Amino acid sequence: MKFGSLRPLGFLRALLLAGAALSTAAVGASAQDLKGGRLRVAILADIHNFDPMQFSGVNFPLIKNLYDSLIEYTPEGQPIPNLASEWKIAPDSKSVAITLRSGVNFHSGNPVNAEAVAATLKKAADPQKGKNVYPTMSIVQDWTVNGPLGITINFKNPVPVGQITDLLQFLSVIEPSGIDTVETKHAGSGPFILGERVLGQRVTMTANAKYWQKPPIVSEIVLTVFSDNDAASAAIESGAVDIIYGGNARSAVRLRNAGYQLIQGPGPLVQVFRINATRGPFKNDKFRQAFNYLMDREAILRVGYAGVGEVTALPWAPASPATDKSYNTRYAFSLEKAQALLKESGLSAAELSNWKLTANGGDQDGMAISQIVQSTVAKVGMNIQLDVKQGAELTDAMLTGKFDAIFGGIGNIQKFPTRVGTNSIYRTTNNPILGNPHPFPAYVAAMQRVDTTLGTGEPVKQAYDNLNKVLVETAFGIPTNTFDIGLIVAAKNVGGITREIDNMLVGRTIGFR
Amino acid sequence: MTGGMQRSLDVLRRLLSHRGALISVIYLAVVVFVATFARWIIPYDPVVQDLTSTLEAPSAKHWFGTDELGRDLMARAVYGARTSLITAAGAVVIAGVVGIPIGLVAGFFGGWRDAILMRIVDVLLSLPGILFAMALIAVLGRSQLAALVAVGITGIPSFARITRAQVLSLRKRDFVMAVEALGGSSTYNMFRTVLPNSWSPLLVQVVILSSVAILLEAALAFLGVGIPPPTPSWGEMLRTGKSFLYEAPYYAVLPGIVLTLTILSLDTLGRTLAWVLEDRHELGEEAEAEAEKARP
Repeated sequence: MKFGSLRPLGFLRALLLAGAALSTAAVGASAQDLKGGRLRVAILADIHNFDPMQFSGVNFPLIKNLYDSLIEYTPEGQPIPNLASEWKIAPDSKSVAITLRSGVNFHSGNPVNAEAVAATLKKAADPQKGKNVYPTMSIVQDWTVNGPLGITINFKNPVPVGQITDLLQFLSVIEPSGIDTVETKHAGSGPFILGERVLGQRVTMTANAKYWQKPPIVSEIVLTVFSDNDAASAAIESGAVDIIYGGNARSAVRLRNAGYQLIQGPGPLVQVFRINATRGPFKNDKFRQAFNYLMDREAILRVGYAGVGEVTALPWAPASPATDKSYNTRYAFSLEKAQALLKESGLSAAELSNWKLTANGGDQDGMAISQIVQSTVAKVGMNIQLDVKQGAELTDAMLTGKFDAIFGGIGNIQKFPTRVGTNSIYRTTNNPILGNPHPFPAYVAAMQRVDTTLGTGEPVKQAYDNLNKVLVETAFGIPTNTFDIGLIVAAKNVGGITREIDNMLVGRTIGFR
Repeated sequence: MTGGMQRSLDVLRRLLSHRGALISVIYLAVVVFVATFARWIIPYDPVVQDLTSTLEAPSAKHWFGTDELGRDLMARAVYGARTSLITAAGAVVIAGVVGIPIGLVAGFFGGWRDAILMRIVDVLLSLPGILFAMALIAVLGRSQLAALVAVGITGIPSFARITRAQVLSLRKRDFVMAVEALGGSSTYNMFRTVLPNSWSPLLVQVVILSSVAILLEAALAFLGVGIPPPTPSWGEMLRTGKSFLYEAPYYAVLPGIVLTLTILSLDTLGRTLAWVLEDRHELGEEAEAEAEKARP
């Protein structure tokens, strides 16, 4: 393995962060004041499986409870040690040396070691098994085990720090013997151990008394599947559950107004008006750019998400380093500016209306915001129909580009900016909607520039600024607002809720007042 | 006044002499009137949004409040009646135009024609109406026409079977045989002799199918496969209102009431009409028997 000398700054940072790890056990909690017991959590959909690499929202209540990742992020996006007690990035940014914490065991009793990390990396690098981690592994060349607690990951090219820490935070270590069966049988080292799973009804997790950090405050977590928000709301109001995880914003706001706690995490999704720039009038640049001004973001946020979230003209969460709020003002709702661009487009009245807005019939909020857009574009002469789809038909349309325009949430926008490329519409290669070759080389180049601009200074900022400028100019995705996945509503006596960077449920720090 | 008209007026008079039927007819007339002249009656456009007045409680300005997009709920309920009535009318026409000839041919000719047509009808009848309609809408896409066709097709079997049953009871009657003996073609006999004498149960079926069609359209909309927004529809309003039961419990009240009353009125009317027509039929037969006895 080629391994360069450590950059002084990187080393110092790693040491500081290693120190900070001591204070991470009670993130967001005054743990000593909290009492244990059984934590009853309402969830709105049953989990898919126990694979921590399947970052489906329905698995979010499990991942941080059954597994540990190599590092964690603070709510502000700063990396902090977890299973990895330290990590050292080589001066050429082409490798990272990880040192694992000693004395950590899987639930089976076997040690968490470098071999386990290597096995996890192998799964992540497998196109079939890697699930949501697989795209992030595209930067990885190979890895080398250096003793029981050391492993070095080598990259194909120099990689920005943010991409490296994203990868480490993404990797929840799985016990090697359980990798092939992890979908049906958990194989982690997390603070909870799976008790029972009754399909479609509940999942029970019990506290891991031998956890390497301070053991969980509660002895048991019961995740109960509710069929809808109203049922879950009724359950918390009647005292049948202590927390609702992943409910909708409207119910959450109503409960907040009734005195319950509403906790928003730092990892929201961004709602994006996705445009298939290969179809109809959307091939026209000016026509697409008009939509930057046609989004009544305030109304969409208020009507669709009860005001829970923030308006945004860029696809970033507030915690993203590429966030630039000046765009919200520059591209604020303006029918006049939109009309000017539509005029510049040179399209006829019939061409302007020659598209449909695909809407998710199963999503009440999505239907509402689609109708807002339908009504707005009518004001500038576009009389369009909603193409209502549901279920598999909708998923197929979204992932294969069988739409003119559609709303859809995007994730991974609170971390390194080019992670936005894991969302189908923002992919730079093999884009399932925009096709190959990518019709916007300026966008691909801007993403590459961000990926290859190392360090933390002005060049990085310029790369982000350039990406933001290209995003609004190419206008194949028009962000409107952030909205919370994994919104938490908690009873008054619940405390210690961790604001996890991906808005996952962290049961370890939760207890009762 | 012709004898036919006299008989129709007699039926109408007897129908309206029943209090339930009278109330139903008045209610349905009001619904039809308001739906037809909504533009001049309701001061709000049912699709125009007012995003500054969302989910407003009932007030002097908005008698039944506003929806999540600030649209007047009363306007949407009134215009939603159009959707329901058009769907019901269209469905009845489709079911009648296809179902009645099937029943006529099957009953009149019997034999292999009857066997084949009735097995097709049996197949249609074996499919749960709502599932069949959903499948058809999945193929045709969501639109008023698709909903109307889907609901109409589900009504074909009932028309076909009722018509066939009527034809079987009339086929060997003297007046039908007489037309045949005089050289009347089968088509003439079916459509000019048998069919005019089969209208009573078919008329009842029209009313009943209207009720079923309105309910089915509302059910499809409630399940999210009805007419796409922003076209107002009672079922769609109920579906959306369900999501706002806490914040705006009044949301689903008006569409729920009008839908219930419309179905109740049509059912009451259908039941009473069946009773009146049956009664008239029996009276007619009695009169015929009396006349037969009196014949020298």
